[in-house]
Amino acid sequence: MKKCKKIISTILGLTMVFSLTACGGSQGETTSNEPAANAQTGTKQEATNDDVIHISYSYWGTPDEAASVQEVADRYHEENPGVVVDIVCIPNEEYVTKLNTMAAANELPDCGIMNEAGVLDFGSKGLLADVSDMYAGADAVPLDSITFKADGKPVAYSAANEILVLYYNKDLFDAAGVPYPSSTEAMTWNEFVNTAKKLTLDVNGKNATEAGFDPENIVQYGCTVDNWTWQLEVWALSNGGRWFSEDGKSCTINTPEVAESIQKVADLMNVEHVMPYRAGLTDDGVQSTICAGNVAMSTGGAWNIGTCLNGVDFNYGVARLPKMKDSVTICTGGPQVVFSQSKHPEEAMDFIKWYMKEENSWDSLIATGIWMPILEKYYTDDALTNSWIDNENFPEHDECVGALVDYAMNNAKSTCWYYVPHTNEFIELLRAVLGDVWTGDATAESVLNENYNALNAIFLGE
Amino acid sequence: MQKQYKTKKMHKNETLVAYICLIPSIIGLIFLTYVPLAAVLGLSLTKWEGVGIPEWVGFANYIKLFTTDPYFVDSIKVTIYFSFVAVIGSMIYSLAIALLLNRKIPARGFFRAVFYLPYVLPAMAVYIGWSWLYEANFGLFNYILSLLGIHKLKFIASSELVVPSLALIAVWLSGNLIVIFLAGLQNVPKVYHEAAEIDGANGWQRFRHVTLPCMTPIIFYNLLMALITNMQVVTPALALTQGGPGNSSRFISYVMYQYAFKSGKFSYACAIAFVSFLLIGVFTVILFATSKNWIFYEGGEE
Repeated sequence: MKKCKKIISTILGLTMVFSLTACGGSQGETTSNEPAANAQTGTKQEATNDDVIHISYSYWGTPDEAASVQEVADRYHEENPGVVVDIVCIPNEEYVTKLNTMAAANELPDCGIMNEAGVLDFGSKGLLADVSDMYAGADAVPLDSITFKADGKPVAYSAANEILVLYYNKDLFDAAGVPYPSSTEAMTWNEFVNTAKKLTLDVNGKNATEAGFDPENIVQYGCTVDNWTWQLEVWALSNGGRWFSEDGKSCTINTPEVAESIQKVADLMNVEHVMPYRAGLTDDGVQSTICAGNVAMSTGGAWNIGTCLNGVDFNYGVARLPKMKDSVTICTGGPQVVFSQSKHPEEAMDFIKWYMKEENSWDSLIATGIWMPILEKYYTDDALTNSWIDNENFPEHDECVGALVDYAMNNAKSTCWYYVPHTNEFIELLRAVLGDVWTGDATAESVLNENYNALNAIFLGE
Repeated sequence: MQKQYKTKKMHKNETLVAYICLIPSIIGLIFLTYVPLAAVLGLSLTKWEGVGIPEWVGFANYIKLFTTDPYFVDSIKVTIYFSFVAVIGSMIYSLAIALLLNRKIPARGFFRAVFYLPYVLPAMAVYIGWSWLYEANFGLFNYILSLLGIHKLKFIASSELVVPSLALIAVWLSGNLIVIFLAGLQNVPKVYHEAAEIDGANGWQRFRHVTLPCMTPIIFYNLLMALITNMQVVTPALALTQGGPGNSSRFISYVMYQYAFKSGKFSYACAIAFVSFLLIGVFTVILFATSKNWIFYEGGEE
């Protein structure tokens, strides 16, 4: 009896040991602990029945963009039956985070559109394959303002040219009897604030210019200037300051012009009361304001035409951003890259080159307004321009020519991440320290001066 | 003589069986706790960013943490502040609710379920719901305040109010403490209560002199668990505030996540993890050391 008990307990013990090691083995797969994005993680399987190669392509975007990218992937498969592209969607706010984790686990996708802030750092870590010969021998190269450069040499090219513009709700403007913002001539900052005041209404119907206006009970706001951190650089440039010197060798964010530009945006909320409070922590500037219907004007990227403004039930227009001193906008755009950990670099490079050609992303991305073309000829040649903007997805032709085409061609400057490394961490710290500026508890000048050393240390890579 | 020999052998067999059954837990303890801890300590003494070979740098990460890092020193203060508010708040709240739920009230089972429910809800759903309550422009709390004629508050968007606001959510979520306190309350021998009533004690005196002392082991357990859990808080920061205005809700675990996954600086994050482990260890030791003075064990001194 005792021997029986001993045998049973030994078997039981051994079973437990083996089951633990079995499930312990599969635990080695999990590496990331942040909320998982939808769709599958990048898998690199090779089908055993035929020679179909699977390459994974990562990107960010709304479900509409997901459908567009899937169309592109399907079209590539039709033209190249031996290759299937599996698309992986990762939210923009966590894009570099997820890629960092995948890089440490050696599980990066084969290729993808890279978040702009992480490009130069990934390049310096050797995670990006060399794409310098992508446009060798081509008749047209992308605009210089959207070329990523390390030490002056091109490292990647943006897949799309995106600028910041001003959207406005035409119905709310008509109701208040205020003239529309111009798409060919930028308003001055004071004109912008006054227009916003006329469109900020309290619960009694008074606007912000009238006596008896109640700032505690506002039902409609005049404007939102998005303070999602990287977009603040445009105001520094407009005010005659720069976050970094033109050669990218020094950080000049603590100059008075930069501090003043940020303070003016904060004052819209706390002094002028024309902007609803935003903490600057999320990438939903247009969706949560003008698309929600209770804000009359909103700054945002050109991609919103295709991602959220296509579904609104009011008439909207597009205009140039207001200017503080100079009329500028900033251009950005994720570059298509091939990751050096890929097991199928040639197929991935081929897909990327195919994707970068405007004809191949035309219907799903360029004609819907999500992407803007990267080759100069689309901005200078009228026939090509019309083929791009003359469709039902875009607002009126003249508005688009003024606020999208000419604005991008003549007034766009590169965002800092095209020529400065470590921008991901820099912007993260800037976002943290500016928190008190948006609530009105600190001035931009004091915050930038206090934190300049920490910001500079990140810029220098310490 | 025969009997003694048999008992000794039986004893040895039983010990062997016990060790065999313990093998899975020991393996788990070694491979899932001690080895990772040693690995984290080892990694924290190197410089490694996810690719390539770790490079030995000694204590440079720790020095950098306490001197030039813009987040870490603030994060220690914020985490300790949050833990105190959340732990004290949830202990008082759950003890009070447990006392009320111990009485004979109608639909007692329903109320017990209702107060336990927040603990089992998915965390993200809870935080997103509360973020709409706390929303600075159009949230429900601000609407109620404006109806009462009080100035709107920014709650999680203001650096003074964010930690108390998040602690309030943590208090609401403390269903597990209520259940354990209820069990502890039901363990208080009824004879003590009856004896106290006979001696003329009112409700409050009975609570202070009978219930509380009998509950002290349970209170100690809950305090320890709540402290350890709340010092590792990270979900509100991830879901709601991303570190909050400035550094005012930047918890230690959030800084660790930021450096490890957002910036890819894994070895630096390991240094933060190890300091966090030591910090929680210090608080646990303090709690254990002072426990002898106030815990009453019914079985007498051990």
